[in-house]
Amino acid sequence: MTPKPLNSRTHDLLGSVLGIGALALLVLSPWLVDTTGPDPFYKGPLLFPLITLGLILAGSVPSLFRLVRPGDARWYLDGLGRPVRAARVLVCLVLFLGGLVVFGLEISTLVFLAVALKLVGQDSRAKMVLVPLLVTVILTVIFKQLLGVWFPEPLVISFFTE
Amino acid sequence: MFEHMMDGFYAAFSLANLVSLVFGSFVGVVVGILPGLGPMVGMVVLLPFTFSFPPDIALSLLLGVFCGGYFGGAIPAVLLRTPGVPSSIVTSFDGYPLTQKGQAQAALSAALLGSFGGGVISVLILMFLAPVLAHVAASFGPPEYFTVAFFGVVLVVMAFRSQLGRGIMLLGLGFWFSTVGIDGTTLSERYVFGTLAMQNGLDIVPICLGLFGIGQTLILVEQNIMKTDHVHLSRSTLDFSQLWQALRYWKTLIRSGVIGTFVGLLPGTGSILASFLSYDTAKRLSPEKERFGHGTPEGCIASEAGNNAVPAGAMIPLLTLGIPGDALSAVLLGVFTINGIYPGPLLLVKEPVLISTLYFSMLLINVAAFAMLIIWLRPFAMIVKVPGRLLAVVIMVVSMVGIYAVNTRLFDAGVAVAMGVLGYVLLRMGWPVVTLVMGVVLGEIMENRLRQTLSLGEGSLMILFQRPICVVLLVLTVLTIAVPLIRDTRNARKNARLPA
Repeated sequence: MTPKPLNSRTHDLLGSVLGIGALALLVLSPWLVDTTGPDPFYKGPLLFPLITLGLILAGSVPSLFRLVRPGDARWYLDGLGRPVRAARVLVCLVLFLGGLVVFGLEISTLVFLAVALKLVGQDSRAKMVLVPLLVTVILTVIFKQLLGVWFPEPLVISFFTE
Repeated sequence: MFEHMMDGFYAAFSLANLVSLVFGSFVGVVVGILPGLGPMVGMVVLLPFTFSFPPDIALSLLLGVFCGGYFGGAIPAVLLRTPGVPSSIVTSFDGYPLTQKGQAQAALSAALLGSFGGGVISVLILMFLAPVLAHVAASFGPPEYFTVAFFGVVLVVMAFRSQLGRGIMLLGLGFWFSTVGIDGTTLSERYVFGTLAMQNGLDIVPICLGLFGIGQTLILVEQNIMKTDHVHLSRSTLDFSQLWQALRYWKTLIRSGVIGTFVGLLPGTGSILASFLSYDTAKRLSPEKERFGHGTPEGCIASEAGNNAVPAGAMIPLLTLGIPGDALSAVLLGVFTINGIYPGPLLLVKEPVLISTLYFSMLLINVAAFAMLIIWLRPFAMIVKVPGRLLAVVIMVVSMVGIYAVNTRLFDAGVAVAMGVLGYVLLRMGWPVVTLVMGVVLGEIMENRLRQTLSLGEGSLMILFQRPICVVLLVLTVLTIAVPLIRDTRNARKNARLPA
């Protein structure tokens, strides 16, 4: 039998992390918000952040209590397994962002799509060649040619031209 | 008035607007058909492209995705019992049994006629009701706006009252995200942690795109949502004779469209409730009650008319009060504000042509989506065979490049990835992500209204109790919180007393 989310320690852990984070920000807010302006407190920049952080903290109290006194709760996400494949694709996505700076849009898109398609099991030769090529061409035409979006010069090219 | 309506009519029929709304409807139908994506993903992926468009074109494009998504959602619900959008699950109650009996055409005709009728009825109600509500709201000052926004967020949070703590936490987190960066009123830095990139704040676009675009596609990568790809349709277009037969249920169609519009009008209620309520009402009032659940076109009409009436219903509080009813209309609010247009009662006075264009565009979107599905029913139905994981990976890269293109800042793309992780975790855990989006969108509005209210009251909120509209809204807010909680407590006690 799968436990309800309310009996999940994983859910309570996330709630508690949010609550503790909010508490830390609440304490540090006078230093993280510039309050040197002439406005009284009720017109100033600190009031609303304090309310919002207070809301997070208030909402996290039940999670904090349940985390400390778990009762019959156990570690449980949603019963659909560990997010291994999603984590791998996510790492690729982060590398893709770095790749935009180092290698540029075209190479990064081609490599990301080829690797990500392999990771998600869409690894027939046709898909791994055609899809990256097609998407790269479409993105380049739309963003670079039609919309005229500026992309930084790839570091690799700068390295060789200097 | 008539002149503005005519200007809006002509603007809606301009080539650019027609292309925009037809393309938007097409994308909407496609993402609606694909289980696991839905109109939200379609809207946030297209969002970065809209910044180079005039507001009417941008809104037509996104409204096309919004409404088209509900049209498309019915197809897999009827053919595969897999709803393309969550609210279409109700359509599958009668649609799938009809498909099993070899009457898929009858089910699809009823569902699409329901979607079309519900959409048109709700736009007509929007055209009538929005000016009335705007007239009432014209006398609103900052305290009234603040209490309306407060009432709206309370409604949304209470809609998820089984997860009250989580809803409050996410709402607070959304509000907090809206405070990061340089405060527009005092020009003070807030939570920038000494970085230049954070001074611009956390933009709503990367947040929404991350939470829904990246978060949802990461889920699609992880879970193979489609259970079958076995699609069988006797002909490639919709059978017109079945459409005429479905028109027998015109009373159900009108009633469900009205129910859906008024459900959509209330923040936080959503299209699932609209579908259920319309279906349940149709079942109770039908002379053929016993056929419900075993395959009747009337059930398909009721649920689809109900859920397709929600987009126009949600536009009523958005246009007249600036309060989005759900996450999808929150994204639309973002488009308005990015273009320097602030929805509220004055919007109908200041931008009458834009509003008229929107009305006619919404009518045209319903016609476009309906026509597309009638003509290309089988090709659209075959979309369910496209591997979800392949699409997910492509959507991710398009989202990343799109989000970079908005401000040519890699920081925004980084924010989208971070929000994608948060969205993935929250969506998998089933937390109410919509409250987070509402917080982000309404944060700045609520903060400004709160400051103005406090300035009027010289630091005191007692001013709220001196204004009749505020008092009424505050009483409604208290009742919205108290009544369901008392009822839940009573039910829990009653259940506890029952023998096991």
